[in-house]
This record gives sequence, structure tokens and C-alpha cells, in this order.
Amino acid sequence: MKRLLSLLLVPLLLAAAACSGSSESGGDSDEQVTLTYAIWDQAQAAAMKQIIQEFHAQHPNIDVQVQVTPWESYWTKLQTSVTAGSGPDVFWMTMVYAQYYAIGGGIAALDDQVKKSKLDTSVYVPAVTKAYTVDGKLYGIPKDVNGFGLCYNKKLFDAAGVKHPDASWKWTDVIAAAQKLTNKQKGVYGFVAPEADELSWYLTVPQVGGQVISPDGKRSGYDQDATIQGIQFWTDMITKYHVSPTLQQTTDTDPLAMLTSGKVAMRYCGSWEPEEIAAVPYGKANIGIAPLPAGPTGKREYYSNGLADSISAKTKHPEQAWQFLQFLGSEKAAEIQAKTGTVIPAYQGHADAYAKAMPEFDLQVFVDHLKYAQPFPASTDTSVWRDEVTKQFAEAWTGKAPVGDVSKSVAEMMNTALSKEKK
Amino acid sequence: MADSMQLTARRGRRRFRPRHPIAHLVLCLGAIFMVGPFLWQLSTSLQTFGESVSVPPTFLPHSPQWSNVTTVFSALPFGRELMNTTVMTIARTVGQVLFSSLAGFAFARMRFRGNAVLFAIFLSVTMVPYQVFLLPQYQIMQGLGLLNTLTALFLPGMFSAFGTFLMRQFFRQIPMEIEEAARIDGANILQIFWRIMLPMSAPGMIALGVLVIIWSWNDLLWPLVVNSDPRQMPVSAGLASLQGQYTTNFPVLMAGSLLASLPVIIVFIVFQRHLMSGIAFSGVKG
Repeated sequence: MKRLLSLLLVPLLLAAAACSGSSESGGDSDEQVTLTYAIWDQAQAAAMKQIIQEFHAQHPNIDVQVQVTPWESYWTKLQTSVTAGSGPDVFWMTMVYAQYYAIGGGIAALDDQVKKSKLDTSVYVPAVTKAYTVDGKLYGIPKDVNGFGLCYNKKLFDAAGVKHPDASWKWTDVIAAAQKLTNKQKGVYGFVAPEADELSWYLTVPQVGGQVISPDGKRSGYDQDATIQGIQFWTDMITKYHVSPTLQQTTDTDPLAMLTSGKVAMRYCGSWEPEEIAAVPYGKANIGIAPLPAGPTGKREYYSNGLADSISAKTKHPEQAWQFLQFLGSEKAAEIQAKTGTVIPAYQGHADAYAKAMPEFDLQVFVDHLKYAQPFPASTDTSVWRDEVTKQFAEAWTGKAPVGDVSKSVAEMMNTALSKEKK
Repeated sequence: MADSMQLTARRGRRRFRPRHPIAHLVLCLGAIFMVGPFLWQLSTSLQTFGESVSVPPTFLPHSPQWSNVTTVFSALPFGRELMNTTVMTIARTVGQVLFSSLAGFAFARMRFRGNAVLFAIFLSVTMVPYQVFLLPQYQIMQGLGLLNTLTALFLPGMFSAFGTFLMRQFFRQIPMEIEEAARIDGANILQIFWRIMLPMSAPGMIALGVLVIIWSWNDLLWPLVVNSDPRQMPVSAGLASLQGQYTTNFPVLMAGSLLASLPVIIVFIVFQRHLMSGIAFSGVKG
């Protein structure tokens, strides 16, 4: 009986030996480990599962389970489970929360592992790497990055006899075209100026050299004249030139739906939106994408959010989690993500698959935009002031108060919030 | 004979004439406002994605997209999730009705030291926002090793301070004489509760039950936090996961929501009389 057992054990041992031999870094034990990987976007779940399959083929002893939790509950769940010490091993992180989790000890610094595995972090878009570097330590491997462009309605441009936008366009071109395209009788506006930081003034403030937050993250930039100028671009569209729907209208109706229904002729778009535009037949047929118009002096810098994959500071399998993280940051994973056409991988030089994912649009525009990316404005408790900023700027969007005044009181509020933060 | 015929005819006619035309008009408008969202949901669930996001909105789908309904079943383990929701709802409802009526009875009818103080502490719990309990309840579930199980879904929801309050108000309304009569006949306290008080407070229990059913059926945050495996999730969490970060397929989401809300609508229609009387009843003294 004993002999029979040992005979049975031989192939098992051989298999185990073969496994550990083939795994790249060797080192780790051959125990079977299951990691959990938390993400919030259902649309990307399929791509993530494909990445996991590839990873599992290389590391048969590591299983990875994906947990999709919708955005609104993701952070509640993450905070609860990480505090209790039973959270996911690896999870998506956004620039907005990166410092909060890094300083609070929720996510692990990766420098030692990066050094040990000789991972080259210069392959990622620098703005993203920079955003996840807190106090000189790296807390996430960059996953994706956002680019922006000018989505416009070709049909409306042709009907109004306006030249299609191109790379030479600056703010004044946008205003001039918007004035020609606006047709109140038909209910068509030339432009849409939503009050959404990421999709509005985060794109124009850096174009005039303004800033939302000082580079050291200690002071608000909302009281700077350049910042105010960057915000005024948007409010002028509504209150001065009357070429955009009002704040009330853009709150009631999704500005993207206005674009794909032919109600507005131009909109600043993010690299994740073409998929949604293509899902609407009218949008697929009539929407074109041009480079984002430059600032008055030709500056093209913008604030870009981008995600990273982070490891929980309390994971029970740091070795395996790091192996998975390395794979998530690999070329292979970048390619799989790019093919979906939903996100641009942060791994530079692998955006081709993204650019080709939807041949009906010129997605290359978004890829070309990436070299101007700046880290998304963030501090330890970003959401405390960010939500309040948006709330207060409504006054300027409705024209109740001048942008300069609102912006200065916003700066005061933000400085108070920043001074209370844990550094 | 003719007279009586005329009389019934007149009476019959009168029955159809609204006695308060203005009141009826207001009620009709109210009904339209209430039913409107459901009709809108039904319409959206049968539209294409393009129709659902068009401006101005599409009122009726060009050709009904029944495939949205089948998409729900392929995108989610919908049947399993529906079962989880059902188990969770039944366990919570039975638990709350049983435990809350026991506690409510104690507060209403038993004299013990600190009754009022204890009840005040109970009431204060209803003033604390639910989010505050989230972390401790999660840690308790973790300590019990119940994370990611069906049990974790319903265990903390089997008792509530609100239910205790509601049942206490009910028991207080039952005349003392009945209880005294039962005591003279030799019934002990549990017998009084079980044989006399419980049957008399049926409307209250039904009202509490319906409220718990509706709350439990819609509960989203707790299941999302305590469980991760889609197969251990209720249908509310499954539906929420249909929302993408950037793009949401609204018709599919609406089709799923409609399917998920049907059982609750049926429960409401069946029990609506009790629900109304329950609220009116507890309102008198509350």
C-alpha cells in the first residue's frame, strides 16, 4: 500500500518540480494560491479575464479571481475590507485616491520588488508613474491613461459651410466655428460646455499655464489669473457667446447624448468615449474626431487621469501578487487592453491596437495627445475639495457670479481643506 | 316594481358618477405620475441603445428589442441571484417579524428596571446612518468566517430597532384588559404573547414584513461590501454591476431592473391593504 502511494506521488512531485522550474522568477513555493483582483468597470472585465488566462498559463499555481464592483460602491467596499484586513490582493487605483491609500497604509510600496525584478518603469507614460509616486515611493504599476480630442459633427459642419477642425486649431477657432454652427431655430448649439472638471477646465487650465494645485500639493491654484482664464473659456461659451447649452441643460441631458443626437456640433471627448459614440447609429455615421484645440499660445498640456494596479498592504501572498502585478504591467497585458478600444494602455508604444480598434474614428488623435499628459490634480483627501469645487463653480456656469470671484473663493476653501490634510 | 327598477337604475348610475370630480382629477394625475416611471422603464427596456440615449427622448421603441431580456440572463447568473435575493429576503423578514415582535412586546408590556432608558437607546440606533455600522458589521462577519456566504447577506438584517419600535407601538394599543383576562385564566407571559398578542397584531406584523421585504429586495450596499463572488450576490448587486464606469447599456439595465422588481410589485399588490392599515394604525399613537 505504501509503495503504491509513493508511486502515485512521483508524478505529482515531478509535475511540481516542472512547474517551479518553468516559472520565471522561480523562488516562490509551488503551493496553489488564489489571488483576488478587484476592478470597477464591467466593460473591461472581459479584457482583464483574458489577461488572467495568459498569466495563469505562465503561472499555473496562481489563480486569480476578478471582483467587479460598480464605481459608487467600489470605494466603500475597498475601504471597509482593506481596513478589516480581508480586502482583495490586487486592485485598481485611481490618481484621485492614490495618496490617500498610500499614506493611510492601504497599498504597498513597490520599490523593493521593482528593483529586485529589474522592472523598467520608464516604459509607462511618465505622468501616470509620477501620480502614483508618493514621497518618492512607487505605489502602483500604471495601467491606462486618458487622451482627449475634439469630437465634432461632420454633417452640421458641412451644412453650415465650416471647415472641419484640424491640428492647427486654437481656442479662437473653436469660438468662431461655434458661433457659425449655432442655430437657435433648429435648437443646435455649436459647442457644449459641461461643468465637469475632467472634461472641461482640466483640459484648458494647463493650456494657459494655470494650475489646479501646486506641484507640491500644498496650495490651490484656483486664485491664479491663468487658471481663471482657463475656466473662463468654458463659461464664456455659455454666458458671453451663447453657443453652448446652459448648465441646467447639460445637467439634465448627458452632453455626449447631445452630440450623438445632433444637438451640439462640438464637444471635448475622452479616449474612452468613441465606443459609446459608435453604439449610436447617428454618432457612428456623423461624428469625427480632431486633435484637441491648443491654447492661445499653442500649449497643449492637460491633466490626465490614469489607473494603476496596486497591491494591498495586507495581502497574504505578496510574492504572487507581485508576479501578477508585473504581468499586468507587461506588453502582453497592454496589447490585450488596447484591442478593446476602451482604454489606452499606459505602456508606451502599445497604443496601435487601440488606434485601430474602431476604424470609423481617428483614434490616433487620442494617442498623439498623450505626450502632453500631466498628473491629475490630487492630494491626500482629493474628494473633499474636488466635489466642493464643482459645486461652487455652478455659480459661474449659470452666470450668477464672475468666474474670477468664484475661483478666488474656491481657492480659499481648497487651501483650508489642504491645510487640514494628513501628509 | 317599476319604481324599484328606477331606483336601482338611479343608484347604479349614481355609483359611476364621481362624487368629488376635483379629487378624482388630482388622484388621476397622481396615478399618472406614479405609473409614469414604470412605463418609461418598460419602454426603455425594449429600445436599442441608440434610441435610449437620443435627444429628444424616444417614447416608443421603433421595433421592440426582446433580446435585451435574454442579454440580462447571459450577462449575469440571474436565476441564481434571484434565488439569493429570495433567500435573503425571506430570512430577514422572518427574523425581523419574529425578533422585533418579541422585543417590542417586552418593551410594551413587561415592567422591568430601565425599560424606558433601554428603549431610548434602541430608538437612538435608528438615528445613526447605516454607513456607520458597515465596518463593524463587516468585521463581525469576518470574525465569524462568513465573508462571501449567503448567510452573511441576511444575518445582520434579521433584527432592527425600527421594527422593535413599530411592534411596540402596536402592542401598546391592545387593551390591557385582554391581557389581564388571559392572566386570570392562567396563561403565562409567553402564552399571552403567542396566543393573544401575536394574533391581534397581525396587521402590524404584515406591515413590518412588507417594509422589510421591500428594503431587503432593494438592499445594495451591504451585499456589495460583504460578498464578492457574483454567485453569492443578490440580484440588486448583479444589476448594479451592469453599470460600466463610462458606458452603461441602459436598455439591458432597465430590462433587468424590471424583471427584478416584478416580485416586489406583486407582493405589494397582494398585501397593499395591510400595508396601508399598518401605517395608519401605527401612526395614531406613534
